[in-house]
Amino acid sequence: MAILTTPQSTPEVTDNYLNHTKGIWSWLFTLDHKRIGMMYLICVLAAFLLGGIFAMLIRFQLLTPDGTILTQDQYNQVFTAHGAIMVFLVIIPAVPAALGNFVLPIMLGAKDVAFPKLNLFSWWLWVFGLVFFLVALAGGVDTGWTFYTPYSLDTTTGMTGIIPVLIGAFILGFSSIFTGMNFIVTIHRLRPPGMTWFKMPLFLWATYATAIIQVLATPVIGITLLLLIVERTVGIGIFDPAMGGDPVLYQHFFWFYSHPAVYIMILPAMGVVSELISVHSHRHIFGYKFIAYSSIAIAMFGFLVWGHHMFTSGQSDLMNVIFSLITFSVSIPSAVKVFNWLATLYKGSISLNAPMIYGLAFIFIFTIGGLTGLYHATLATAVHLHDSYFVVAHFHYVMMGSALIGFLGGIHHWWPKMIGKMYNENAGRISAILVFVGFNMTFFTQFMLGSKGMPRRYATYIEMPEFQIYHVISTIGATVMAVGFVLCAIYLLHSIFFGRKAPANPWGGRSLEWQCTSPPPWDNFAEQPTVGDCYDYSVLEWDPNEQGYHWRDDVKHPGE
Amino acid sequence: MFSILSTLLATPGKQANFWLPKQASTVAQSVDFTFDVITWICYFFFFSITALLVYFMIKYRRKGHDVVAQGPTHNTPIEVTWTILPMILVVIIFVVGMRGYLNLREAPEGSYEVQVTAERWQWIFNHPKYGVTEVGELTVPVGKPVRLLMASNDVLHSLWIPDFRVKMDVVPGRYTSLWFEATAVGDYNLNCAEYCGMDHSKMFATVHVVPEEKFEPAMVKLASEYEDMSVGQLPAYAINRLYNRCKSCHSLDGTIRIGPSFKGLWDRVKGGDVKFTSGEILLDLLGENTEYVQPENYIRTSLVDPQGHIVQGYLGSMPSFQGQLKEKQITAIIEMFKHLNEVTDEAGNITVNPDGTPRN
Repeated sequence: MAILTTPQSTPEVTDNYLNHTKGIWSWLFTLDHKRIGMMYLICVLAAFLLGGIFAMLIRFQLLTPDGTILTQDQYNQVFTAHGAIMVFLVIIPAVPAALGNFVLPIMLGAKDVAFPKLNLFSWWLWVFGLVFFLVALAGGVDTGWTFYTPYSLDTTTGMTGIIPVLIGAFILGFSSIFTGMNFIVTIHRLRPPGMTWFKMPLFLWATYATAIIQVLATPVIGITLLLLIVERTVGIGIFDPAMGGDPVLYQHFFWFYSHPAVYIMILPAMGVVSELISVHSHRHIFGYKFIAYSSIAIAMFGFLVWGHHMFTSGQSDLMNVIFSLITFSVSIPSAVKVFNWLATLYKGSISLNAPMIYGLAFIFIFTIGGLTGLYHATLATAVHLHDSYFVVAHFHYVMMGSALIGFLGGIHHWWPKMIGKMYNENAGRISAILVFVGFNMTFFTQFMLGSKGMPRRYATYIEMPEFQIYHVISTIGATVMAVGFVLCAIYLLHSIFFGRKAPANPWGGRSLEWQCTSPPPWDNFAEQPTVGDCYDYSVLEWDPNEQGYHWRDDVKHPGE
Repeated sequence: MFSILSTLLATPGKQANFWLPKQASTVAQSVDFTFDVITWICYFFFFSITALLVYFMIKYRRKGHDVVAQGPTHNTPIEVTWTILPMILVVIIFVVGMRGYLNLREAPEGSYEVQVTAERWQWIFNHPKYGVTEVGELTVPVGKPVRLLMASNDVLHSLWIPDFRVKMDVVPGRYTSLWFEATAVGDYNLNCAEYCGMDHSKMFATVHVVPEEKFEPAMVKLASEYEDMSVGQLPAYAINRLYNRCKSCHSLDGTIRIGPSFKGLWDRVKGGDVKFTSGEILLDLLGENTEYVQPENYIRTSLVDPQGHIVQGYLGSMPSFQGQLKEKQITAIIEMFKHLNEVTDEAGNITVNPDGTPRN
């Protein structure tokens, strides 16, 4: 293979964040945002593998109407583990904590986040939360990741993992709050001269909007989980009707956080995609301000729509009507983003490399995910589709197909910067296409399953054997996707050891992280970087020797 | 565009299509109309966006490494247009959906009322007008509005009849309700849609929609059929009509569930071979001058006061059936235990019909 034999033309290894200090302790107690970001990345990917194994167990169980490999009890624990791991340990920290920690300060032109020690503490909290999750898995949790009362208060089910998983989610919440606080302060206080709000890359706007939600919404879930723990252990009646509590109150508390939380998941991925689409089409982003404001709008409206999770819960008809109306308001900024990305592609110079395939896949999948949201915002259809596979398909289109595909696109986009090596481009394309095809096979069929009457969280569907064909197609799709992910893991690991050395700017990006070496030096920038229009690509030119882009000699740097 | 739309939109009594199951209630029509309106809007946006995406991918594909791609960086009139246009569309969708929903929520005056109790993992339907309780089956007349008043005995459940397009959570500690008017005779699936623990996926019932002239006779028969039966006929009646209420916890094939299996239960009781959590043994409680003069009394007490003696190894979560079972129905259950092998096979399958004829 060509990449194996490419001579390393530069024998001297430059000082960078990977080799600046050595030893495991220099990583575990590092205050460097890039190393912390990498540690998050490793942990998140490990959690993704675990959650993915549970996902495959679910898919293979449902191959036949009476189930194949799991008992009812086991299935309930598997889908709970899949949901809880993917939500709390993968999607929520994926882009903000892993990619955000690495990229945000460099993109901003800062040397680190505002509070490096708090940042390290966030990571340790995260690991601590992970440990509680693993303890919980061993004990068994079968409540679903939503922990709905009064089932989650029932101590007769023999599941001993419920308290640990609640404690774990509580701790992970604080990790998320601290990261959000850190990012807000960093963006407010550490922008270098010239980096005005409207010169910031859109990824930073998205991360900023996300951080606001993290700080404002997460305490609510923290308190709610704490109340649940107290009720389960001491028996005070808050949510349990048998003790005078109200189970629907729990749903209000839970979704007051968990609906904004879906924007914690999707907003940063939207930010990543704004970068991908612009950089890989070498085209100035279209409608910068509309995209930036739409992130803030989504964050704001996101707080006002939680009641749409409860259209059939017994909440009043008037509340249902109001929540339905407000919910539609979220669809507008989401649609605006899609139109702006499309317009960015117009007259672009579109490079169909792996990160861009993920970017384009995101637009396609998010369009379906967003449009199918309309059915759930609309009252008459929401009643029929609530708690069916239609919902399962919808939120996988948004959470997995969009948030996770955006994360993968981001990994491929910034991998040369993070690791300093290039991965095999063709393997990257094949893997991205496998994931895209497999994903749509898996989840598009689930729309039909749901609207035709298959409820979610079913271990068997003996009374509804007509649904088997959809489940079989879905399982085949999941297998295709799994092959794509395994291939992805192989070539990314391969690139670490055998990959061609990455140039500083392999894609021709214009934001500040592409101005420092790959991998970045320990303190990011030796001298204060100069800030220009981060989406103006006309100042760059291709350098065939370097296999990357550099600043054109005939164009002055901003500020010169 | 709109002519295609109007011809393809919901027509009454529609069969299952690509997206939706068959329509079998009056509200299904307005729900499906809403569904179709959204679907056509989705088709328009999805196909337009995808077509542009693919067209741009091909047309503007990068050749070589050229850097400069010049295009507009913003265009306020266009951006305002594509912000306003979706706003108008979603308001239309909201209004259509809200009207359909209010229709779904307001039961007509004089609806036939059924009281529903959900408990892990079965549906119990009580017809107050006839004094009939059905378990796992709900018989309703066609063409008449039916209102379900629902309560839960334990955790959250949700009653969903996909062909009727109705769903409502069943919440412990309060009543919820829904209504429907079935439009076609037949059997329909009723599922639990809110996760409720171990056998959530088995919490299933069948809705029997029968012609109106057959409904009343069916109810009268269910209400009183055991009254004229001889003792010999009772086991077949009990296993078909009463066991449904027991089956989520008590198996017929020896499998241990929440409670002990019914298989061999009469022999264990008669022989006194039952240990209680109190440390007592049933044998010591049977006979003259003891708690249970006849072993039948023990079973009777277990039904009306199940917490009195809890068998070792079980949690004692059985509800009391005091007042729910007539004396003759209790007799029927006891007779069913005595003659279990005549009404079930080794594998625990029921082998007779309620009238005693063999099941095919």
